[in-house]
Amino acid sequence: MTTDATPRPQDEAIERTPSTELVVAKVWELPVRVVHWTIFVSVVVLSFIGFYIGTPFLSTGSDPGFLMGGMRAVHNLAAFTFIAAILARIIWAFTGNKWSHWDQFVPFAKDRRANAKDAFRYYVFLSDDPPHEAGHNALAGATYFVLFTMFLVQVLTGLALLSLESEGFLASTTGWVFSIAPIPWVRFLHHLIMWLTWGFVIHHVYSAWLVDSDAKAGLMSSIFTGWKRLPPEDL
Amino acid sequence: MPVVDAPTDSILHALASHGVTRRRFLEFCAATTALLALPQSYAPRIARALEDKKKPTVVWLEFQDCAGNTESFLRAVSPSVGDIVLDVLAVEYHETIMAAAGFQAEAAKDAAVAAGGHIVVVEGSVPTGANGVYCTIGGKSAVQILEEVTAGAAAVITVGTCSSYGGLPAASPNPTGAVGVPELVSGVPVINLPGCPMNVDNMVATIVHFLTFGALPAVDGEGRPLFAYGERIHDHCERRAHFDAGQFAQEWGDEGHRKGWCLYKMGCKGPSTFHNCPSIRWNGGTSWPIGAGHGCVGCSEPAFWDTMTPIYGRLPAPPGFGVTTSVEQIGAGIVGLTAAGFAAHGLIKAGQRKRAHKQDEAPIEIESATADDEEGAGQ
Repeated sequence: MTTDATPRPQDEAIERTPSTELVVAKVWELPVRVVHWTIFVSVVVLSFIGFYIGTPFLSTGSDPGFLMGGMRAVHNLAAFTFIAAILARIIWAFTGNKWSHWDQFVPFAKDRRANAKDAFRYYVFLSDDPPHEAGHNALAGATYFVLFTMFLVQVLTGLALLSLESEGFLASTTGWVFSIAPIPWVRFLHHLIMWLTWGFVIHHVYSAWLVDSDAKAGLMSSIFTGWKRLPPEDL
Repeated sequence: MPVVDAPTDSILHALASHGVTRRRFLEFCAATTALLALPQSYAPRIARALEDKKKPTVVWLEFQDCAGNTESFLRAVSPSVGDIVLDVLAVEYHETIMAAAGFQAEAAKDAAVAAGGHIVVVEGSVPTGANGVYCTIGGKSAVQILEEVTAGAAAVITVGTCSSYGGLPAASPNPTGAVGVPELVSGVPVINLPGCPMNVDNMVATIVHFLTFGALPAVDGEGRPLFAYGERIHDHCERRAHFDAGQFAQEWGDEGHRKGWCLYKMGCKGPSTFHNCPSIRWNGGTSWPIGAGHGCVGCSEPAFWDTMTPIYGRLPAPPGFGVTTSVEQIGAGIVGLTAAGFAAHGLIKAGQRKRAHKQDEAPIEIESATADDEEGAGQ
């Protein structure tokens, strides 16, 4: 990233603190980054293969392969990887550092509400000062709460649909899903959430880039390295 | 005619008087044991129960129906109709096939109900709207008749999706307020045999189970017997290998369709439907819908008309977008709009930055103003 200790001329105009030295901080611990990229890769695999399962656009023709069977096997494997990543992140929300803590995802505390207001003003063009927060800004945290809720619905509908072909543990633990929605609507929801997830990805990458280009704290690189370069009072 | 050592009102006696041999009877018991997914060691027990038991009295009610389940009932092949179903069951009242009419028919029904311990078979949904005026027989509404006839009954068997879940009459917008029988009957065990129509072999097996064990068979969450509705059509389909191989009919009459490939892309609802059609089949086991080249329509699932349509589409159409729109089109549209929205946001932000940059070159008051704001935000 281009940020260095000496602010560039246009940064001086929006200088917000008397501090002169930026500090580097390990904001995203290794488990957070591993979970992030595991979710990303499994969502790519699940989406592509899930789309094939819903709309088989390839055909093996007369060659007796195992295309759909193989696709479903990979989908299930990726799904359980995805579930494992989500469970790991939920555990880390209680055991990790303060920026990965569960309260980062619900803007209840006073300073988080104030941060949400700053972020909102920034996103709706009322301010050109990006929200100051070493971790997730309060609005971003709230969108991840929505995303994780979608993921949990996706996991639940996926497991319920998988249980249709079995009578064991899965069927007895997820069968209640179909008393809320009939099977075709459960599939419908499972497909819709996949698309909504990609809508989220667009928002996520764009917003990260936008805030990074204003705050210049190394947000984009931090999800690879874990480090951010910040004014000490943002920590 | 072999002389049978059985009570004159017993099932075996009735069979013998119709020329059903003991060998044929035992074949039936063995086949029904298999259908009920019981070990073959139960076949003698079933045979004994049927030999000893009195013919059960059956009252067959028809409400908002098309008599399709009666058709299915009459076309039972194995066990053959006349032999087993019509004669083994003492059907005291059945509007479509009984000889009596009018007051005579009502009297037969009243007598059967007064005796109690009868089996009630219901075909068709029950309209509850406008105090039940949408279906009345002899001046009584379907709701009243159902209440009267099920009082004192040993069991209620709903045949067909309409009587099980409301079926077609209950499909949106359900103008008659139609409901399934289980919603109205309490105090009497009810078992659902949905399907459009139900398969009579499953009905006979359910009754045989009831006669043998004195209880209805185990059911799933939708009140259907597990022996008949415990497994998905998709998992026992003869075309399943084509599904796993990725061989799909793309349109009616194409090469894949002619070769008997999977009908998944033609809207087959086998993956969403629980029924034993693939193994028990229809018309004496000769064929069934998917075997005949048409996808399953999911007729034995609750609310099938509202949830399994479009019949030739994979998933329900998104509400408010018309039946030719798919969830994938809606989803791709959402992603596209999101991308467009954030692109616009980016352009506005770029404009905002440009203005801010210009102001930065102007006098320095702005700086202190921003710093004051910052203190107020309390970071």
